[in-house]
Amino acid sequence: MTGRMVLLQALLTEHYDLFLIPGLPFLAALVIAGFCLRPPRERLAPALLIPALTGSLILSVRALAEVGREGVPLTVSYAWLWVGSARLDIGCLADGLSCVMLVVVCTVSLLVQIYSIGYMKGEIGYGRYFAFMSIFSGSMLGLVISDNLLQTYIFWELVGICSYLLIGFWYRRPSAAAAAKKAFVVTRFGDLGFMVAIILIFSQKWWTFNFQQIAGMAHGGNIAAAAATPLALLLFCAAVGKSAQFPLHIWLPDAMEGPTPVSALIHAATMVAAGVYLVARCYALFAIAPVALFVVALIGAITLFLAATMGVAENDIKRVLAYSTISQLGYMMMALGVGGYVAGVFHLTTHAFFKALLFLTAGSVIHAIHTNDMWKMGGLGKRMPITAVTCLLGALALAGIFPLSGFWSKDEILSAAWFSHLPGHWFFFAAGLVTVFLTAFYMFRLWFLTFAGEPRSEEAAHAHESPWVMGGPLVLLAALAVVAGGLKCLVPGTGHGFGAVVGTGHGEEAVSHAAMALSILAALAGIGLAWAAYRARLVSPAAFNARFPAVHALLKNAWYFDQGWRWFATRVVLAGSGLAAWFDRHVVNGMVDGVAWLSGWASRQLRTAQTGQVQFYAIVLTAAVVAGLLAVLAREASLLQLFQVRP
Amino acid sequence: MNEPMVIPIQAYLIVSTLLFAIGLMAVLTRRNAIAVLMGIELMLNAANINFVVFWRYGGGQGMEGLVFAITVIALAAAEAAIALAIILNVYRRFKTVNVDQINLMRG
Amino acid sequence: MIGSLWNVIWNSVFSGSFWYPLAFVCLSLGVLIPAVLVALSRNMVHAALWLLPCLVSVAGLYLMLGAELLAGIQILVYCGGIVVLILFAVMLTHGLGDPDVRVHNQQLLWGVVAAMAVAGVVLRLLSQEIWQSGPPVAVSEVTGRLADALLGPYVLAFEVVSVILLAALIGSIVIARGDAAPEPGADDSDAEAGE
Repeated sequence: MTGRMVLLQALLTEHYDLFLIPGLPFLAALVIAGFCLRPPRERLAPALLIPALTGSLILSVRALAEVGREGVPLTVSYAWLWVGSARLDIGCLADGLSCVMLVVVCTVSLLVQIYSIGYMKGEIGYGRYFAFMSIFSGSMLGLVISDNLLQTYIFWELVGICSYLLIGFWYRRPSAAAAAKKAFVVTRFGDLGFMVAIILIFSQKWWTFNFQQIAGMAHGGNIAAAAATPLALLLFCAAVGKSAQFPLHIWLPDAMEGPTPVSALIHAATMVAAGVYLVARCYALFAIAPVALFVVALIGAITLFLAATMGVAENDIKRVLAYSTISQLGYMMMALGVGGYVAGVFHLTTHAFFKALLFLTAGSVIHAIHTNDMWKMGGLGKRMPITAVTCLLGALALAGIFPLSGFWSKDEILSAAWFSHLPGHWFFFAAGLVTVFLTAFYMFRLWFLTFAGEPRSEEAAHAHESPWVMGGPLVLLAALAVVAGGLKCLVPGTGHGFGAVVGTGHGEEAVSHAAMALSILAALAGIGLAWAAYRARLVSPAAFNARFPAVHALLKNAWYFDQGWRWFATRVVLAGSGLAAWFDRHVVNGMVDGVAWLSGWASRQLRTAQTGQVQFYAIVLTAAVVAGLLAVLAREASLLQLFQVRP
Repeated sequence: MNEPMVIPIQAYLIVSTLLFAIGLMAVLTRRNAIAVLMGIELMLNAANINFVVFWRYGGGQGMEGLVFAITVIALAAAEAAIALAIILNVYRRFKTVNVDQINLMRG
Repeated sequence: MIGSLWNVIWNSVFSGSFWYPLAFVCLSLGVLIPAVLVALSRNMVHAALWLLPCLVSVAGLYLMLGAELLAGIQILVYCGGIVVLILFAVMLTHGLGDPDVRVHNQQLLWGVVAAMAVAGVVLRLLSQEIWQSGPPVAVSEVTGRLADALLGPYVLAFEVVSVILLAALIGSIVIARGDAAPEPGADDSDAEAGE
């Protein structure tokens, strides 16, 4: 066989094409950064990125179909570098979970990029925007397809920096710059956990970063629960930061300072879901650490409830959606925590579609009337019919109304909590159910305030529907949000249901019809209350606020989390830092200075020996020779004996 | 040269030792660089006497002692030439040949 | 220590031939006394001139030891070359004795002590060891054998010495010329500023 045929065979059997999935957007980023940053050529940037993403999407769908059919993950791996005898790999793992994520990321990213062409038209930094978006898409796909923790960590940080760059896209606006910094710093707390987890794994006797090997060892009982628990908690720590879970959720609402397509792609559909994905990816570790699972469920439950209550009192349309995102991510975490692995991943998928849709409709509205304040909107349903209808579909899906996608996934989560064996699973179920009510309420509050009634501002009265380059992605995403529930029964191209595709080894989950009924009732109640309060004016929110000012203030200020963290940062951390700084300045630095002073003093003493007088040196030399000879004489009594000369 | 040698080797060695010590004293104590150079010449001569003495009293077969002595004389001539050139240069620069006044390298 | 040594010398002087040891004593004094004067003399020209008897006496010692060629070289190179060179240097550097100027540096005492210590240690070694060299064998054809050795086994050393001599010749010319080569650099201006 010739060398070329060997190479060809290797290319056909080794799945090198998996590297292309993140590779194509990176290539696009390179070309855009090289040639398309400045005005005359920046119009070409989307024309580079969109074909690249289409290519990635086709490859992802192909991988998903193959994995679904064969039931065997596709892998390819290279030795990246050797550290001593430790081999670090760089490779791809395409199993059901990552393939589904790949397809979701590619789809949403592709639609958001098309939407961006219209949304970002005429912005300064159009080329830069698409360059960052390309890097983000490549990094996110790389994160999903990584076959080991270290590589995941690299891409994890890359998506983090892309998030920072895109939140601060309008960096001349101080609030955007501050939000970017906040997002970067807050997620850093979590990422520290990721790094410590990697170091901790490396220190184990069984160390490996490969996900499949870790899962294999966890299933085979080679990892003690005592080792798995801290590892799982540290990884969850990273997930808490990235997925904006309590108590590190504070960065996500501020991240809405970025362009709306960025919010849709990064801060709703993909990057913030990376935390959930990480937990799902390492689920084998969590499965043998019940304590960690309980913590995941608890944090998820707290987050979903708190964030939903914050969304109720928010007037900024994007921040409502941000709180909603936090809350839905909490659902996913809780699902994973109570053992509903498939439910969590399924909700991740459906949520990516309908939340991206909701953000894009919000972007459409903002594009039309140039404000985020819902109280300056109203009556937009007549003027922006496509936006209004697609937003309604997204809101219904998010509220979990039959038969839209959100119903199926949320219902699976509630069922998982219902049937869970965790202690206190009734609490988790109750939190989920109450939040279904809250979710429906704040989403329809948003919809009624924005699209129903009469215009409350000049701009709203003269709004126009967005162009088709923005409307098209909305319609496509709305269609996905409606039908994505069907994935539960059949993932196209694979011949299996969603659970069978992603849930290898984690079992089927039962469905509770009672939970189903309760959740629909709760959602309808939420919609009804929103209708009564903001459309029919049957009940007055103002009266409620006047009656319970404390509750209103609490919700309005998002439970005072920002203030709490600020107090923590300025009082506790600064005081501790002051102490450390004093110690450093006076003790550590004092020691260093002392050593320097001592050697300086010794040098000053020694330099007096350097008289510059040659004859002084000569006399010292002579004295040394004499002293040496005398010492020899005193010991040996004979120089000749020393030199072994026989007389 | 054929009459019996009655002078013991120590006699020569004492002379060379004393010559060496006198040369050393000149090197260590004279201020004038040329005087220091003269001291060095004395020390070289002391060493040369030793070479010849050990050649003669060591059997007189090998020629190493004399070869060394000749080499030392040649090198002493070279050294004197170089040293005097340096001294002249130093004198031009510092207007003195007193070694204890030349201390640019003082620490 | 010194006493026993003196006995050895005294016995040898009076037990053998008389003139031969007498010549040795005279030459030894001829080496050491001018050497002391070289080290102490206030006048630099006197010091340089005192080198002459000293070096000539060393040549006499070489003769006594049977190294005629070396004695000749000693006279030629030292007395004819180096001493003259030194005299030139003395005259070129205002080295003529000025009685008011100290000729010894501030470490005179310690320098003398150090020199005496070296001498003492070596003399102690000489008195301690038994130097059983015995009477030296008769030597003949010294000059011829020396020539053979120099151009035979030691030719490399011989050639290296000639190269060194050449280098020293060129080097001393270059160094002694000093600032004669006009260099428009900071060095010259520095030197002038120093003056």
